[in-house]
Amino acid sequence: MFNLHLDAEQIEFRDTVRSFAANEIRPVAIHPDRLEPFAKPLMMDLLGQASELGLRVLTLSEAAGGVGADTLTSCIVLEEMAAGDVDIAVTLGETDLLGHLLFDNWMTPDQSERFLKRFTEDPAFHLGHGGSTPEVSGWNYHEDLPNETGAGVSAVMQDGDWVIDGSVSLAANAPIADLMVVPVRSDWAGGMSALVVPRDTPGLTIAETGEQTQVRWHHGSAANIQFRSCKVPSENLLGEAGNSPLSGGEYDALHTLQRAAINLGVGQAAFDAAVAYAKIRRQGGRNIVEHQAIGKFIAGMAVKLEAARTMIWKAAWVADHPEAIADRSVSDLPQQIIASIFTAETVLEVTQTAAECFGAMAVMRDMPLQKYVEDANMFVHSNGNDVSTSLQIAEAVVGYERTPAA
Amino acid sequence: MDFSLNEEQQDWQQKAREFATHEIRPISLARDQIEGGFEPWDWGVIEKGSRLGFRTLAVPAKWGGPGTGFVTQTLVMMELAKGDSAICKAFSQNWKWSHLIAIACSDDQKERFLKPFLSDHRYLLGRGITEPNAGCDNRLPPEIDPKAGYRLRAIRDGDDWILNGEKTFIANGSVGSLFFIDARTDASVDITQGGTLFLVPKDTPGFRIGKVSNKSGWRFYQNAELIFEDARVPHANVIGGVGTGSVKSAGGDTTGGDLFGDLELSANAVGVCDDANGMAMAFACSNKRAGKFLIDHQLIQLGINEMNMLTEALRSFVMRVAWEHDQGQRSANGVLMVNYSTDVIRRVTRLNMDIHGAEGCRNNPRVSKLARDAMIWTHLAGDTVLRLKAVTKLERPGLAEAAA
Repeated sequence: MFNLHLDAEQIEFRDTVRSFAANEIRPVAIHPDRLEPFAKPLMMDLLGQASELGLRVLTLSEAAGGVGADTLTSCIVLEEMAAGDVDIAVTLGETDLLGHLLFDNWMTPDQSERFLKRFTEDPAFHLGHGGSTPEVSGWNYHEDLPNETGAGVSAVMQDGDWVIDGSVSLAANAPIADLMVVPVRSDWAGGMSALVVPRDTPGLTIAETGEQTQVRWHHGSAANIQFRSCKVPSENLLGEAGNSPLSGGEYDALHTLQRAAINLGVGQAAFDAAVAYAKIRRQGGRNIVEHQAIGKFIAGMAVKLEAARTMIWKAAWVADHPEAIADRSVSDLPQQIIASIFTAETVLEVTQTAAECFGAMAVMRDMPLQKYVEDANMFVHSNGNDVSTSLQIAEAVVGYERTPAA
Repeated sequence: MDFSLNEEQQDWQQKAREFATHEIRPISLARDQIEGGFEPWDWGVIEKGSRLGFRTLAVPAKWGGPGTGFVTQTLVMMELAKGDSAICKAFSQNWKWSHLIAIACSDDQKERFLKPFLSDHRYLLGRGITEPNAGCDNRLPPEIDPKAGYRLRAIRDGDDWILNGEKTFIANGSVGSLFFIDARTDASVDITQGGTLFLVPKDTPGFRIGKVSNKSGWRFYQNAELIFEDARVPHANVIGGVGTGSVKSAGGDTTGGDLFGDLELSANAVGVCDDANGMAMAFACSNKRAGKFLIDHQLIQLGINEMNMLTEALRSFVMRVAWEHDQGQRSANGVLMVNYSTDVIRRVTRLNMDIHGAEGCRNNPRVSKLARDAMIWTHLAGDTVLRLKAVTKLERPGLAEAAA
């Protein structure tokens, strides 16, 4: 039964991560010395500390050596972490999600044998996704065309090895990953295949993104990667050739939900900052929190954050209880996309309203508000949430079936 | 009704368009992308623009300026802002205060300050009213708290005044030669009676520049702290009378208010929206999704429609207010217009991001630049408090009339 009563373990996790974000991450993350420069290097020490809390293996099963948390717990934890620093949350979330899928679902026992021990024992061991971020797109609305996958990587079988060539821009976690999961086109019948590629494989190079701009348009840790006759043994194939487990929808769905939870954390951080400031800033003869105009802002933000959180928790609960769709307790609409686009739009509004409470200070680079707005803008305009995304919901509503690509 | 522009207006518009295209636009994004608060600034473009008359555009003909009206100034701002919103503001900030010099200053003050302003291409003007604890209170002083508002103290000492205190986020702060400083000459009454406006040249002893603001938008434009430590300003530099309330000094329009200030932000917003519309259309006509150019997708057509619809509505509003101001008509329209410009610039720059999507935003930092610049409207202009202020300018019926 749908139940919003968190158990003791979930509450403990939330409180632990909330205080870690507030006491350890935020003082560093929103210090003026870090906020002012354009470059925001990933805070590796804090990432390491978060790993020590078990957050890198949060949803990995206990049998495999993880915490064994469910999707709802993961969403709660990532929201709290993102309120501290969005990039740490994105980085940890990526490793955790790939770890769970690889070791609990996708790898054979032999494959797990080769990688699991190092993954669970080394707190600095991260996993990367060597493909484009999932493209949730509705540009092909009611057309048979497949979505552009953007996969510029191919692999051919040669003398018992896979030989990989091509490049990927902004591969998630590439700068720090020890093992990459790489979707590849192969001459095999069917669709994409997926290979695991250790970072030190000859022929794999990881380059800076080359983004020198004030706002780098991605979250977490990403880099451009290139494969030049990069060879991995045939045992590195995940699942079957031509039937990549990455294309099964599970990764995309959980990834979309995870990002929504992280996005929500950004909104909550902006809201908390605005409320705290409104209580102490005095204009118009009283603390501004006592003015109707500010009261209206605060109420509006609270409504939006509560609504977004409810949608994310529901989608997470459904992901943990797929039987609820089977028995028609909930609709079979893509709950994660619904939660994600609502959260993205809503959190952008929340960050902008929160910023407004700060007056001119909100556009100063040594204050965090401008960064919250920037982060929220990036979530609205990301590969997972573009202006066409909602059309996927419309297709689901009417049950549109795309003819599989030949 | 007649919407045609006269020859002089068209000439200035054309001149501004050429300057924006050839001198401002080519450096705009590069300056935006330079780290630091002061560093994005560039005297080169200011001097070039000054030689063409853009720094001194609002100085009356009687005092040796071009003597343009509000319609012309509006047209020029729309063009310059299309090249770069912040560079446009660096020019128009001077018009705001050249209006003030011309209207409120004595002939002696004009002689001492307007002449160097006209002759030196690097002579910029600024006004210091905001303080760390006095933002909205300066715009809408609360009746219940007479102490609210700026607190920078001015104490009379013979023929001089001694100023002590601090201003923050002051426009042109790090590059200005002359500042209009609001100070308290009587702390026992509110700022409308206890405030006085002083002319403070940058070389005044005891006056210095503090921290330069490092902003997310309008990066070229300079805002800085001004620090006064026993700064000595001659009584001859008081504008109007002592204690008339600096906002109303010289008993009339200071043009930092509804006559020019509102027009300035609103016209600038039109330029930014024009820029966004051009970028969105160019991107939509050159990038494909699912085999079709973006412009052939209904989602994009709807976005482009809204962007252009809002921009044209704003343009009409701004031109109307400019014309009304040239006729000497004052109303709530000025402040309503600047409120509207805030909504429009935010929405239009947002839609431009929607049309560009993640890839377009990543590949062209100008997309997010426009949205960062647009954020300034909500923040430096005191958006919510101006919305409240607009209501004070609307006519209210008497109780009997309202009840009937």
